[in-house]
Amino acid sequence: MRFWLQRVAMAVLLLLSVSALTFGAMNILGDPLFNILGPVAGDVNNPDSVKLIEKAKAEFDLDEPLVVRYGLWLSDFVRGDMGVQFSSDGQPPVSDLIKERLPRTATLVLLAQLMAISIAIPWALVTASRAGRLSDRISTMNTFFLVAMPNFALAIILKFVLSIKLGWMPLTYVANDPLSSRLWQMVLPALTIALPVAAVFQRLLRTDLITTLQQDFILMARAKGLSRRRVLFRHALRPSLFSFITVVGLNTGALIGGSIVVETIFRIPGIGSSLVESVLREDFPVVLAIVMIVAVAFVLINLLVDILYSIIDPRVRR
Amino acid sequence: MSGNDNLVTTDDAADVAVANEAVKRRLGWGFWFCIGWIVLMIIVAFLAPYLSIKDPNANFIDMSGKGRPPYGPSMDHWFGTDKDARDIFSRTLYGARISLTVGFVAIAFGLLVGGTLGILAGYFRGWFDRIISFVFVILLSFPSLVLAIMLTSLIERSLLTISLVLGVLSIAPVGRLARASTLQYADREFVTAARQIGATNRRIILRELLPNVVIPMGALALLGMAVAIVAEGGLAFLGLSVEKGITWGSLIQLGSEGSTTLQKSPWIAFFPIFVLFFTVLALNFAGDRLRTYLDVKESAL
Repeated sequence: MRFWLQRVAMAVLLLLSVSALTFGAMNILGDPLFNILGPVAGDVNNPDSVKLIEKAKAEFDLDEPLVVRYGLWLSDFVRGDMGVQFSSDGQPPVSDLIKERLPRTATLVLLAQLMAISIAIPWALVTASRAGRLSDRISTMNTFFLVAMPNFALAIILKFVLSIKLGWMPLTYVANDPLSSRLWQMVLPALTIALPVAAVFQRLLRTDLITTLQQDFILMARAKGLSRRRVLFRHALRPSLFSFITVVGLNTGALIGGSIVVETIFRIPGIGSSLVESVLREDFPVVLAIVMIVAVAFVLINLLVDILYSIIDPRVRR
Repeated sequence: MSGNDNLVTTDDAADVAVANEAVKRRLGWGFWFCIGWIVLMIIVAFLAPYLSIKDPNANFIDMSGKGRPPYGPSMDHWFGTDKDARDIFSRTLYGARISLTVGFVAIAFGLLVGGTLGILAGYFRGWFDRIISFVFVILLSFPSLVLAIMLTSLIERSLLTISLVLGVLSIAPVGRLARASTLQYADREFVTAARQIGATNRRIILRELLPNVVIPMGALALLGMAVAIVAEGGLAFLGLSVEKGITWGSLIQLGSEGSTTLQKSPWIAFFPIFVLFFTVLALNFAGDRLRTYLDVKESAL
């Protein structure tokens, strides 16, 4: 029980620091009043502008000290109210924007994660059982290429080959299409994110499998007369999955980072492309909300991985 | 290493084994080929204005009836031109300047700051170590691209600031490695011996620990540079890198924007992609070989 409490307390502390740092940086380094009003913010001699400035200050509590504003923001955020967009009329509220866009990004990341895992496991099984042979060496070279390939470059190459030249895949995402075709439109973007991640997973799992396959109990299983395939699936795979699970959790960051780029290329209106747009518009409430959502997701997933890990292997609880 | 290795001199045997292995271990021709490519890129980046290549910002509108740009690759324009009839070949070479500078400055900054913090944390431990480690955890708890995008939203996007932002991102991974290897050495006999004869903390860190910690960090430098170059490319691709200037990312972005550019003139995006990919691959491969060569444990990363 103490183990869980410690983990959760750490996660909460982490999120608080992240939000405080982000909030502070944005208010100290940026100029919120200017971001809300634009050039009007500097026009203090014109009574009309002053009226606007006063109104904006009252609306966004800009006269309060930073700590108070952080407290206000935090209490709103925890209750699900992420404030108003800075852009001219403030519509729609940030929460609505996120509510509309988050499911798309979540679907994309989930799809990518599933693809990465379902590519990596068979790939690792095949290469580990033929370790050192030509096919394994070629596969190692391929993982090297995939890991070195920047995700935006991979996206363009896949888009060019599969969508433009071969015409197998749809080019872009259309938000109004029915669900099934939207899912189909997500396959190529998800594959773009998944391939390099699958290569990372495969490298790790292959190494672990090779180590496991040298254990005595594998020899024992083979000596009992079980087939290679059965030994591989039933005996070797499970004990090799430990560090795989950790890496799957840790790599969620790479997936989210990948989704930002991929959403931009394939025009998926998710929170990733929203982040880029709002950064270019200097719309800080949106940026802050998205950063926090990503941080929460990241922390939760890693917490989940820790929990999962300690269920599979109770020794880590100490 | 076990807990009481102060008493047992297992290290000697291991050192002998390493010495024998050193004869067998070679960096291989692939490593030197990659280094060659990287050096070539660095030379090109330095000398781009003095090489007799075309002006990267000039518009080479063709009047002899080839129609409107973009033009495909030809003897005149090896990599073709973009839709403003600018020469992709010279733009790609010029792109190396920003991309490589950012990569180099970022990892240098990361090594300096992350390395210093990591060594100090690993050496002094206690509350200082806790704070530093927590800062590393915070930095690592963010997908690095998200952190980079957030930071770039707060600053003027110049060559220096972009390099430093990416440098900040490399602090945590470098710092963790430095801390881990410092912890590994801080209890060894030669450090205890130095302390017994009255060496100051400063001297122990600089003369005893630093030379040992620098080796694994150096092996990480090439990989870190590759990561920084890719990150810069990603930022440039999203329009969030150095505002004025040619970088590989922005060239690739230009070649894939709109719905038809990629379809009708793929060379605009593909030549920069090839050069970027090959450079990153070379850095990755060389870094990987170097790491194996210097025998840096993957678990320490």
